[in-house]
Amino acid sequence: MKPAGNLKRGEFVLYQNDIWQLQKTEFYSPGKGSAVMRTKMKNVTNGKSIDMTYKSQESVETVEVASTEMQYLYKDTENAFFMDQHSYEQHTLLLSVIGTIINFFKEGEAMFVYVYNDKPLSIRPPASVQLKITETEDAARGDTVSNAKKEAIVETGAKVMVPLFIKQGEIISINPETGEYTGRV
Amino acid sequence: MNITSNYSKDGSYKTYLQIVQSIRSFLNDNGYLELDLPVLSPALIPEPYLEVFKTEFKYMDEKQNLFLTPSPELFIKRLLASGIGDCYYMGKAFRNSEPHSPRHEPEFTMLEWYKVGKDYHYMADQVLKLLQHIAKIVTGDDSRISYQGTLISLEKWETFTVAQAFEKYAHINPETLFNEEAFIAAAQKKGYKTESFTYDDIWSQLYTQEVEPHLGMNGYPTMLYDYPVQFAALSKPNNDGVTAQRFEFYIAGLELGNCYTELTDATLQKTRFKQEAKEREISGKISHPVDWGFIESLERGMPECTGIAIGVERIGMIFANVQSIKDIKLITFS
Repeated sequence: MKPAGNLKRGEFVLYQNDIWQLQKTEFYSPGKGSAVMRTKMKNVTNGKSIDMTYKSQESVETVEVASTEMQYLYKDTENAFFMDQHSYEQHTLLLSVIGTIINFFKEGEAMFVYVYNDKPLSIRPPASVQLKITETEDAARGDTVSNAKKEAIVETGAKVMVPLFIKQGEIISINPETGEYTGRV
Repeated sequence: MNITSNYSKDGSYKTYLQIVQSIRSFLNDNGYLELDLPVLSPALIPEPYLEVFKTEFKYMDEKQNLFLTPSPELFIKRLLASGIGDCYYMGKAFRNSEPHSPRHEPEFTMLEWYKVGKDYHYMADQVLKLLQHIAKIVTGDDSRISYQGTLISLEKWETFTVAQAFEKYAHINPETLFNEEAFIAAAQKKGYKTESFTYDDIWSQLYTQEVEPHLGMNGYPTMLYDYPVQFAALSKPNNDGVTAQRFEFYIAGLELGNCYTELTDATLQKTRFKQEAKEREISGKISHPVDWGFIESLERGMPECTGIAIGVERIGMIFANVQSIKDIKLITFS
């Protein structure tokens, strides 16, 4: 239990007997009545998201989760499949629960998965991933607009907006949570 | 914490500056006097829901606590009592204990604007004219703006009383809304935690969760008026005994301003101050001397008037069409 004012994005809370992961938290003082914590949270069983406002002083039941290393096997249209590196047990997570982050992982890659009572909940996002650009057009000469970006496709098939100077075959780092380019490796 | 330059050649700062200048030209052209006011004060209006910044003046053995003003109201009302007339302040204001977020910074620019001899409905008309004026200067079209892909017509307000909005969006009827016990019971039935929380706390949660997300979302700016007397603050009560002459306005779910028909009854204001100072103490907020001189200026005779406080950066966000206050700032902290 902790006061809602201290909740952080990424944490898991118990609400109506389900486990939800906080996607967004914003402390907000409406200036009429006491401050609140506005959150967006996702149900880790069915992937449904809701907006939830807590009073900042209200106690919220948080769920302490562990993280276990798993190998990402593959995905289909609805699920992604993982294997526990220690028990060799196979697990399934709904793509609607994991979100777009999975688009930045290569099949066969190891990653950390949040687990509660032996049940995987979602992926623990690394700060960045490094991927090779497989497709992007060369920038037109003379384009000097400072913040201009172009589309590129990385080796997992995901699309990323990159600066004009990035070329095909280069390795870039990406924040997998936002899908944003963060630098050249 | 890092101090970072957020300047970029094609950034939104210049649009923000244009917005600030258009606000100033609108008010100057309509006969309002601009006020240059302090931001440090030895006493403050007791605000039950705002935390303040405290600092200290030192000279030799002499020490004096000073507070950064969360609003210039205490200064302006003295000036109104001295007969300064229609006026405005556009400058810095400070609120503590609220973290940096896309729509709030602890230090922000506030526009506070007073019209003598008029009430909050007159002010609502003026605010709409101001929004049209800003749009005209920034985009060339005074009838509408586009915010994050949504068109917002500035030709009229969408208006609701607070009671109508609670009925429409939270399905709570006025009878329940204005009866503390019934309201708390209704909130509990909806699944909100009510134990050890006050009407004000629960009202605030329910408002933020169920009402506010709909405001300014139907193609017009929304003016929400007649708040429960519990949130009257410095506004005049209505004759119905349950509401006060306060309105707030919203575009795209973002609260932009807060207006009162100003309370000129010194006795009632004194009672509210005592109550609010006590609420500050109970909630463990920084203690500060209460500005009783403010009450004296009401006693001297503050004219009937209406006043509004507007978050200038938030107006900037909407008219510059950006998602965060940071996008219009030259310097950011991270």
